[in-house]
Amino acid sequence: MSYLSHTHGSAHRKTVRMSAPTTQDALFEVSGPRARRWIRIGTALSIVLLAGLLFLIYQQFAFSGQLDEQYWFFFGQFTTWTFIAQGLLGTVKVAVVAGILAIIVGLLLMTGRISHFAPLRWVCRLIIDVARGVPSLLFIYFFFLVLPTWGLTVSTYWMVTIPISFNAAGVLAEVFRSGVNAVPTGQSEAATSLGLSRGQAFRGVILPQAIRYVIPTLVTQLVVVVKDTTFGYVVTYPEMMQNAKVLISNYNSLVPVYLVTAIIYILINYLLSRLARYISKRTGAKIEL
Amino acid sequence: MSFHYLIANYGSAFLGSLLTTWRLTAIGFIVGLILALLLTILRVSPIKPLRMAVDFYVQVFRNIPGLSLLIFIVYGLPALHIVLDYEPSVIAALIIICSAFACENLSTGINTIGVGQIEAARSLGLGFTSIVTKIVIPQALRSVVLPMTNLLIAVMLSSSLASQIPVSNYDLTGLVAKINNSEVGGILTFAVAAVLYLASALVISALGSAVDKKVRIAR
Repeated sequence: MSYLSHTHGSAHRKTVRMSAPTTQDALFEVSGPRARRWIRIGTALSIVLLAGLLFLIYQQFAFSGQLDEQYWFFFGQFTTWTFIAQGLLGTVKVAVVAGILAIIVGLLLMTGRISHFAPLRWVCRLIIDVARGVPSLLFIYFFFLVLPTWGLTVSTYWMVTIPISFNAAGVLAEVFRSGVNAVPTGQSEAATSLGLSRGQAFRGVILPQAIRYVIPTLVTQLVVVVKDTTFGYVVTYPEMMQNAKVLISNYNSLVPVYLVTAIIYILINYLLSRLARYISKRTGAKIEL
Repeated sequence: MSFHYLIANYGSAFLGSLLTTWRLTAIGFIVGLILALLLTILRVSPIKPLRMAVDFYVQVFRNIPGLSLLIFIVYGLPALHIVLDYEPSVIAALIIICSAFACENLSTGINTIGVGQIEAARSLGLGFTSIVTKIVIPQALRSVVLPMTNLLIAVMLSSSLASQIPVSNYDLTGLVAKINNSEVGGILTFAVAAVLYLASALVISALGSAVDKKVRIAR
């Protein structure tokens, strides 16, 4: 059962009173009059508490003057939004290319990781471990600070895109490997008994199924890639976070700009997570944590 | 820059920043876990507004980029008259993000336990408290060891965000950036930091697998 099912679980419960749809719903018995009263009191109390919390936040904004028009007026201007949209385009450009690169490199690393040739297996395993165990920021700093001293000029775009895709490739390699492991062994046995070579069986029979198993997880990994694009801020590549910095210095409005950009990031990633869950539900392929 | 020069001049700095990275990671993860436990209790409670509020919290902080959150805490909150020191800001960001992911892991862990088990326990006459403490929590905790191990590694990697603000104790990434800004440190400084990160991640992952093997329920 998906973890969010209680949100639509309540409608379900009205019709099927006796068996709850998820474990967390099943924890509580069908409540009697006294329990129902306690739940009502708890509900009322929690609404008051949450409303109080919202009010506190509002007050903090109002008292510190952050709701003043001078901090918000430029969101009414078209140019502000085109500038944010330009940043968003930069973000998308990095995320899409890094995602595609990560899939290709991840697949290559995975095939090396499960190869019968031991040295290749070790090398790929080392690369995967490094990619997964070292922060992308460190790689970005490497591109930013070391490559220029070697006389290599790399555009800020590739300074973010390559490190991000490398990190993601390491993760995806392991995701693909778990997908390959999830394909029943009977499949490769059947393929070889039909006369396919090991490579043919892998490419034609195992891999297509493995990829189908991991599509939802691939989409959730895209969320990580989108988050990492904010490191464009470090190398001043004009993605949304960097453009937000420019807006802030232009209008001297820090809180609203960071708030608006954060909400845009959250919405994008939320939609991606929803998409992953939707695919997972449709195909029955699990999302790995 | 030779290895000897690096060790002689920055050896203790590297050790210190490794400890800083570990400290940020440990505090962020442990406090994050405790917070997640509380959130999960609210999330499975029969009180709907609380469930919705926790759901909202989890969705927001699972999806926010760490840098976005940290920058907001460090530069945005002071404008709202809430001032945290730099290192506490990093820790706060790590705690918040870790708690959202851990809450998600725990909820998934609870939902992997079959509804039938709870119904069976109830028909055997167990009350709510016994069901939760004897049936649900032990199994949920056992099934979340691997996701939590991955989360711990993710928190460690996220602690590199500390390099984005002027903390007084450099974390590993911050130290490497600082060395390379003041002199030509070269690939060696990065290699040392990468090895330290990688070794930490491998140790965490090995410990996690060992614990998981010990407590996992074969299904």
